[in-house]
Amino acid sequence: MDKLGTMHFCALVLIGSWSVMGVAQESAADFSEGRALFESYQCWQCHGYQGQGGSAGVRIAPTIYPFEAFLQLVRHTNLMPAYSPNVLSDENLRRIYEYVRSIPEPPALEDIQKLSLY
Amino acid sequence: MKSDDKSQPDTIQKEDSENTNVNRREFLSSATAAGLAAASLGASKQALTQEAGQPLVAAIAPPSAAQEVMESDVPPGYDAKEAQEYFVKNPGSDFMVDVIKSLDFDYITTNPGSSFRGIHESLVNYGGNRAPELLTSPHEEQAIAIAHGYFKVTGRPLAMLAHGTVGLQHAAMAVYNAWCDRSPMVLLAGNHMDITSRRPGVEWSHSAQDCVRVIRDYIKWDDSPVSLQHFAESMVRAYKIAMTPPMGPVAVVLEGHLQEDEVGDQQLQIPAMTPTQPPSGDAGAVEEAALWLAEAENPVIVADLMAHDQEGVERLVALAEALQAPVVNQFGRMNFPNTHYLSQGANVVAQADVILGLELYDTWGTINTMRDRVHRDTQRKARPDARVISIGVNDLFMKSNYQSFQRYYSSDLSIAGDAQTTLPSLTEAVQSVMSGSRRMSNGEREERWRAAHTRAREQARDAARYAWNASPVSTARLYAELWNLVKDRDWALVSDDGMQSRWARRLWPIEKHYQFLGRSGGAGLGYGAPAAVGGALAHRSEGRLALNVQRDGDMMYVPGSFWTAAHHGIPMLTVTHNNQGYHQEFMHLQKMSARRQRGIDGSSWVGNELRNPDINLAKIVEGMGVWAEGPITDPSEVGPAMARALSVVDAGEPAFVDVRCQPR
Ligand code: HEC
Repeated sequence: MDKLGTMHFCALVLIGSWSVMGVAQESAADFSEGRALFESYQCWQCHGYQGQGGSAGVRIAPTIYPFEAFLQLVRHTNLMPAYSPNVLSDENLRRIYEYVRSIPEPPALEDIQKLSLY
Repeated sequence: MKSDDKSQPDTIQKEDSENTNVNRREFLSSATAAGLAAASLGASKQALTQEAGQPLVAAIAPPSAAQEVMESDVPPGYDAKEAQEYFVKNPGSDFMVDVIKSLDFDYITTNPGSSFRGIHESLVNYGGNRAPELLTSPHEEQAIAIAHGYFKVTGRPLAMLAHGTVGLQHAAMAVYNAWCDRSPMVLLAGNHMDITSRRPGVEWSHSAQDCVRVIRDYIKWDDSPVSLQHFAESMVRAYKIAMTPPMGPVAVVLEGHLQEDEVGDQQLQIPAMTPTQPPSGDAGAVEEAALWLAEAENPVIVADLMAHDQEGVERLVALAEALQAPVVNQFGRMNFPNTHYLSQGANVVAQADVILGLELYDTWGTINTMRDRVHRDTQRKARPDARVISIGVNDLFMKSNYQSFQRYYSSDLSIAGDAQTTLPSLTEAVQSVMSGSRRMSNGEREERWRAAHTRAREQARDAARYAWNASPVSTARLYAELWNLVKDRDWALVSDDGMQSRWARRLWPIEKHYQFLGRSGGAGLGYGAPAAVGGALAHRSEGRLALNVQRDGDMMYVPGSFWTAAHHGIPMLTVTHNNQGYHQEFMHLQKMSARRQRGIDGSSWVGNELRNPDINLAKIVEGMGVWAEGPITDPSEVGPAMARALSVVDAGEPAFVDVRCQPR
């Protein structure tokens, strides 16, 4: 397994500990700071303003990753520019992560009539 | 000025043009063998034409009434000698128009210029501005891209008139796109070689020893004729070369004095244009390819610049079904219906043991990847033991400066030939060499691919719901809204969806060749808007609804394209993918910054944004006579705005809705 594979493997192990991390979020929390960082650090460029993904970057919201996995993926990447701690601190990345986690599920397919026609 | 009847060109009726036109038409219909445009006449009484296999046929068109007057009557105030020096009875450019008409161009795109004023006048007053009709473009880059888009819908090349100097310089990038995208067109470049008759000043600045030089690296052929007969032969040759695969642009220089001077008593003839049959792959090699494919466990077909028309699509369906092999459409052209269960994603290449590449722009990049990292490492995507068969005309290109030919790939079997032309013999060979047991496995294969196809379509629909209610509007929603509006119509997309996460390909059922036009070719911006206008022009006569998803960055190069659409009454529904910047470059700058650990928090706006001030795209096109709305930021308003625009398009006009969108 190359270095990259190892990284993804770690991430998967961390996903396994999802329940340990806990999913509960204070729903009334203010994610505006995280959102501002998501925008100023240009995550939107490739992932979209709602993390929806597209041809330039995968979908990252709503995220299934615990923070540690998220951090690993942002620090050590394959196709994405790796963000080092020198330019994006763990603290700011956590804020970004919390914003990403706060992005709600979109409407269900059945509820979007314009998509159900295809 | 717009003509009232949108389907009619701005025709100039000359008092005697009817007779002349009738003669030409009759001549064209009778003189051409096997439906080939052979020749037409009218300008020069001396003009002779040559039918295929025949020597010379005498001209039949009588001199026009105006010519008669000039011949017999000396206008008041002039003696015979003076009249001869003041008036031209039979200008060379009239003959040039005959040659051009013999080749049956529908339109000539142009931005006017003095170096071709002679032929400009002939096209209008002698040719009646019909077949070809002049199409005015406020920029030569636009004029070329219109021809580019038009060709991809119709399979018919247009001619383009430009100054040999400043005009070709303006045109150059668009010619490069056409070259990379294998799209033929005939450039006609005005020039004045003889220094003793050049008017001082601009005529010197607008002359060159070798004006085609600026584009010669990316055209197939050019010539600078020094006589009218030379022009006739070179023009027909140019057309023929442009249209023979690998197709591409060609150029013919229009010498100023040849256009403007009297024909005199020259005996002129127009050679017949006999189209060259496209090259087909070597029969033995095709049989070998068939054997590999029929014996493969997992054959995969990848097609890019392949289908010239619907026939090409159907031929590929036949091959794919014979093999029950998945087809990866790289969408350089609409090669394969995306609703067909054998239409599959690029990931299937990794499973293949035999890969058949049809007119691939980039074979190496189909088989391998290179990561865009500090160390640009490469990896093979295909299995190490996968064998690759290439069929295409790539190896028949003979230019080296521009590197559009991509990295060298050692295909295991490489067949030079037009893939569409070669397909029937390949399919036949596959059918005949396929073993009974292999044939028996087709049912199981079909089932497998049907399931995978259904899964992929569902995944695409599911992905489209993310950011459904976002503002800026998601590109998936943009396409979904548009589709809902046009799904029961005979629609055709005249833009590429590559920069909108490929939502048209992923969501819309694309089944007809004309419904999708592929890419720009050389990825030079300034292609999108004018190519869309060219495509829409081609669809107009077929009554199809042309849809253009317009990028803001591209539009800012050649906004005048929308004026051309308004001026010539070309209906087209444009909605913008307006992300207020050169988004691809945003990402590049961000990559560089991240690599260098600096400036990742916003420096990528610099040099890339199209904000501050925000550009009001709707106002721009409104100022050119196009109905427009926007900018729209609320996703729920997109559909209704599009519907209003559609009613304008249905009345035969272009319409434009500016939507502020997500980056991709
Ligand atoms: C220049 C484009 C680009 C930018 C900017 C970018 N990403 Fe990515 N990102 C990608 C791509 C491409 C991937 C796909 C995975 C890979 O690297 O192979 C990705 C993957 C990810 C993943 C892993 C997703 C998964 O499920 O594997 C996360 C998490 C992520 N990005 C977060 C971020 C955050 C947070 C930012 C901003 C700080 C950011 N990205 C900025 C392009 C980008």
